[in-house]
Amino acid sequence: MAKIVAAYGLPHTPFFPSKVIEEGASSHTGKLFALARESLEAAKADVIILFDTDHYNTFFFDNFPILAIGIDEKFVGPIDEPRGGMPVYRVPSAPKLAEYLHHHTVRAGYDVASLRDFSTDHSVMVPLHFATPKMDVPVIPFFISGHVPPLPPARRCFELGGEIRRALEAYPEDLRVVIIGTGSFSLEVFGPRIRPGMTDGVPAPDWVDDVCRYLAAGSTEDLIAAATEERMHAAGNVGGELLNWIAMLAFIDNRKPDFLEKQMENGHAYAGWRWG
Amino acid sequence: MSAYAVNKLCRDVLRDHAFRERMKTDPAGAIAERKYDLTEEERRALLAGDVATLHNLGVNDFMMGYLARFGSCGLSVPVFNEKIRSCAKGSH
Repeated sequence: MAKIVAAYGLPHTPFFPSKVIEEGASSHTGKLFALARESLEAAKADVIILFDTDHYNTFFFDNFPILAIGIDEKFVGPIDEPRGGMPVYRVPSAPKLAEYLHHHTVRAGYDVASLRDFSTDHSVMVPLHFATPKMDVPVIPFFISGHVPPLPPARRCFELGGEIRRALEAYPEDLRVVIIGTGSFSLEVFGPRIRPGMTDGVPAPDWVDDVCRYLAAGSTEDLIAAATEERMHAAGNVGGELLNWIAMLAFIDNRKPDFLEKQMENGHAYAGWRWG
Repeated sequence: MSAYAVNKLCRDVLRDHAFRERMKTDPAGAIAERKYDLTEEERRALLAGDVATLHNLGVNDFMMGYLARFGSCGLSVPVFNEKIRSCAKGSH
């Protein structure tokens, strides 16, 4: 039986790898990612399931699933030339488990697309670059559309997480599974609400505070109720990335986080829960 | 209804480095050669680097960011910044 042992919420800001090289591992961002990396090492994961919103690189508007799972031996990325550069990684995956999860979620009523022979952008690779820098843990990416309307409802994403959890708990192999959700709570990228002179902005810092308060208290139900599509879009053109966190929260049973650190200038946070 | 074509052009700027270079030095020629299914309004706005108009026509902000990053159509990050913020009022 697979056992879920930890869950993390992490940002994927494309220029963080170069920023941490410039500013050093002891910089604020370097230290925040180190919290996750150290916890993840202690979790001794056999496989990671990562909820992510693709930024029009794995998918494009010609073919744009709301939900999708990657099923292959490996995948590569980032393929979108994040600023400052970072290595292009080859990440091992777990196709047998991914295929099992695909079958399970579709039969449970979730219309999940599947993809093979795929590559990913910074949104998958930046969290892994920091959290599993050796790229020695297999990763199954699960994509949730979180930028352009229509967004899947927060409730639906949470229930999808619960369905994946039930599937894992019934999986016949002994595996230690870690869940990651990645994204911002309030962020506008290259849109009208960016800050003067910058490429991004945080239109709704109050919403970042609200989300972090719900996370700190383990009030997932309240977070889901508050996270309407209107609220998420109002928080920025990538505000729907919160859905990746909400899917991840289905695995933690209202536990309080081991760490929860806001980074207000980027409208996001770092959080970790480890129990197994 | 071809905001899609502008989005696709932006992706080509990311992925096709020869096209990226042409979009910096000769955007009118680069766009003409590719036969994108652009409306006249989109073509004019693109060549003018008018990302506010393109935003209002439904082109994706994130995709247009590649035009700023890679210096297409006279854009740069500071120029893009000024232009896109000019349509802050009235956006969702």
